[in-house]
Amino acid sequence: MLGRGWRATTAWGKRFWDDLKASTDASLLAILRFVGLLYGRIDTRLPIDQAFRKSLRHRLSRHAGWRHAFGGITYLLFMVLVVTGVLLSFYYRPSAEEAYQSIQNIVSGVTLGWLMRDVHVWAANLIVLAALAHMARVFFGAAYKPPRETNWLVGLLLLFVIFAFGATGYLLPWDQWAYWTVTEGLSILGRVPLAGGALVEILRGDPLVSGATLSRFFALHVIVLPWVALVLLVLHFTLVRKHGVAPPASAASEDVGPDDESGVPFFPHHFLRSLIVGVLVLTLVVTAAALYPRDVAAPANPAQAPASMLSTWIAADVSRALIYYLGAWGFGGFLLLGAVMVLVPLFDRAPERRLSKRPIMTTLGVVFFLGFAVAWAAGWQLRSVPVSASGELTPFQQPLTPPGPALPRLAPPSSPAVPPAGTPRPGGAR
Amino acid sequence: MRRVVIRMLLGVAVLGALPAAARAMTASAFQSPIVVQDTANGCLACHAAQREAATVGVHSQHGVTCVSCHGGNADVRTLPDGHQGNFIGSPSKVQTAQLCGSCHSNPNRMRQYGLPTGQLEEFRTSRHGQLLFGEHDTNAPTCTDCHGTHIIYPPYDARSRVYPTNIPGTCAHCHSDEKLMAKYHLRTDQLDQFRASAHGVALFQKQNFAAPTCISCHGAHSALPPTGTQVASVCGQCHALVGQSFAQGPHGAASKAGKLRGCLACHTNHSTAGVPIEKIGETCDKCHASDTRLHQMGIDLQRSVVQASEDMASAKRAVEVLSLAGQRVGYYQFRYQEALTYYLQIAQAQHGLDLAKVDDLGRRVRSVSVDLNNAANTSREQRWEHKLLLLPLWFLSLSAVVLAWLALRALRRRDAEHRDG
Repeated sequence: MLGRGWRATTAWGKRFWDDLKASTDASLLAILRFVGLLYGRIDTRLPIDQAFRKSLRHRLSRHAGWRHAFGGITYLLFMVLVVTGVLLSFYYRPSAEEAYQSIQNIVSGVTLGWLMRDVHVWAANLIVLAALAHMARVFFGAAYKPPRETNWLVGLLLLFVIFAFGATGYLLPWDQWAYWTVTEGLSILGRVPLAGGALVEILRGDPLVSGATLSRFFALHVIVLPWVALVLLVLHFTLVRKHGVAPPASAASEDVGPDDESGVPFFPHHFLRSLIVGVLVLTLVVTAAALYPRDVAAPANPAQAPASMLSTWIAADVSRALIYYLGAWGFGGFLLLGAVMVLVPLFDRAPERRLSKRPIMTTLGVVFFLGFAVAWAAGWQLRSVPVSASGELTPFQQPLTPPGPALPRLAPPSSPAVPPAGTPRPGGAR
Repeated sequence: MRRVVIRMLLGVAVLGALPAAARAMTASAFQSPIVVQDTANGCLACHAAQREAATVGVHSQHGVTCVSCHGGNADVRTLPDGHQGNFIGSPSKVQTAQLCGSCHSNPNRMRQYGLPTGQLEEFRTSRHGQLLFGEHDTNAPTCTDCHGTHIIYPPYDARSRVYPTNIPGTCAHCHSDEKLMAKYHLRTDQLDQFRASAHGVALFQKQNFAAPTCISCHGAHSALPPTGTQVASVCGQCHALVGQSFAQGPHGAASKAGKLRGCLACHTNHSTAGVPIEKIGETCDKCHASDTRLHQMGIDLQRSVVQASEDMASAKRAVEVLSLAGQRVGYYQFRYQEALTYYLQIAQAQHGLDLAKVDDLGRRVRSVSVDLNNAANTSREQRWEHKLLLLPLWFLSLSAVVLAWLALRALRRRDAEHRDG
């Protein structure tokens, strides 16, 4: 009995050592093989090991370079968001009564809770940039042209999902900035002709942003959107694998497709590159989280808009800058420009990939991507300007006037300003 | 068959009448009652303009009719008969006051309504009453000038001219009339000053009916400006603790002796202007020469109060820092309230010029402020310590990147050799 066990163990060890010596990529692959040995019995039925090896041997086009890393970065950040999001959901309480306190607990009570939260916040910001950079690479590289137009559309849907994740996640801290940013966002959405009003009714679930809204946003954020994202990601990756990397823009070369045996194998060449990029991205996220934590504002108060707001989400910064500098039409126009991106592969189908031969597309891309970057930088500068600086009242602040003739004002129309409610002075001194 | 038709017609008629009935009910609920002509009252046959008074207002509800004030006979409908007997026509201002007093000064009549009966006697003591009764000055107001003539609303009715928010306007009706006031050498800017004052803001903007109106300080029927020695008592009615402290201090004694105009020595009346804490010393200059001991006391007081104010601001910032860092601030907010209690007591002690107490309270404020700042600093340090995590992180990630880079370079070199040979 003992002897059999010993023999099995030595055989196991011998195979492990053989692999270690035999494999060209011994140091790393052997560890994976070691895992493979543990499920050896299963492996005979389910050739996972074989599939894994096939993936590692997969060859990418010779011109796949560093610029193709943005898609991977986006996926890495997505996984960071999944992991930190799951950890946060262990402690977060999705109700108007408990949400704020649970965030306080996460930030100041739970071990490394601050890290979870701030990494989640920063990854949520950086994923927007990474996705847009990925999109810009695809756009300027004309990688959306046939046969990859479907994947361009799937990618745009994923971008929309990223924005939806951000918008729904923004409410969850249930502090003043969260509450009023979402209130303003929904009132903007409500002005969209035809569908806006009904959509806001469904999303808000109440005449005001309230616990009902929080429940809806939480359900969207942790149940609906993750499944949508999973389905879209599987589709996105399947299509990438099917069509391969698009040929470079410079050469008017033939589209070689995925089965290019002259390419570079994923392992170890691209694996090492991915490792470098991944480590740098993770370092960047954790560094940003440690250096610039997101503050916790006062608890949400539906009766009082905050004196100053700090937006901590790129999309909010960009929207604010667009509305502040270009007005509602500028904002609407930019959104329309983004929507036009959906149609790009429908009318730009010629095989030409060089930028100089595609002046309209180049202009469109520069306006969109550069515009986004500039608006973000501008919004960053505007970040401490109160939302209500425009003087326009939010629906809630507007006085409730009964229908019919207006009541006479009892207070004088040019009443003096009430002294700001700051630290009271002693001596009844006003 | 005919019965059925009649029933249907009746049903239609009732249904058709419903909206009209509903409208009428709604209207009666929110508007003044519909004027129903009192056919028994002969006066209204001719005096159509006063018909509303027969049904609206508090007097009509309690059986006070035309003849109660004007005399005459309401049982007839012809003119010579109606204006006979004790008919007095339109009463003069003096007559009016006496007429109102004939009921309102009678405790046996007013008891049932829970109304006081001293108004006429109070009115005689007022400047208005002195002018009217003593000097027969018909510019002086009588009862009807403030309470209305035929339709009298009780003071809790928002239509009344003596409803709290309407009182300043009622007084200003005459008191902002420059031509009229010039005769009495009175100013006319009281209403504007009042509106801008803390009292006016509380009354008009915050609709706080506990806020004082004109009558709260001057008296209603007995309207007179308080004298210099009375001012402190008037303000002290509401500002009780400050007033008490003031009365016990040296300024209170001086005020009682008539050497000081009470609160008005430092504050203003209608505009309720205060003394900014950084100008306490300057204010003392008005009476105490700048090289005296008492002036120095003012400077010391100012320093203490300003210091306490800065400590409060610092405590508030500390709580904000803790809140932004995601700390639970319930306890810290409680401590802040504690400091605020001391701070508000400084206001009280300061009016009694009790410097020792002001300093003591200031120390307590400072103690809480220091506690809160210590907590805020601890939180800041904790946040700073988070950054220490970056050192191992950077070391590990840099190592990984360098190693991967070296491995990649080695791979490329090997690939190149492979291609060449």
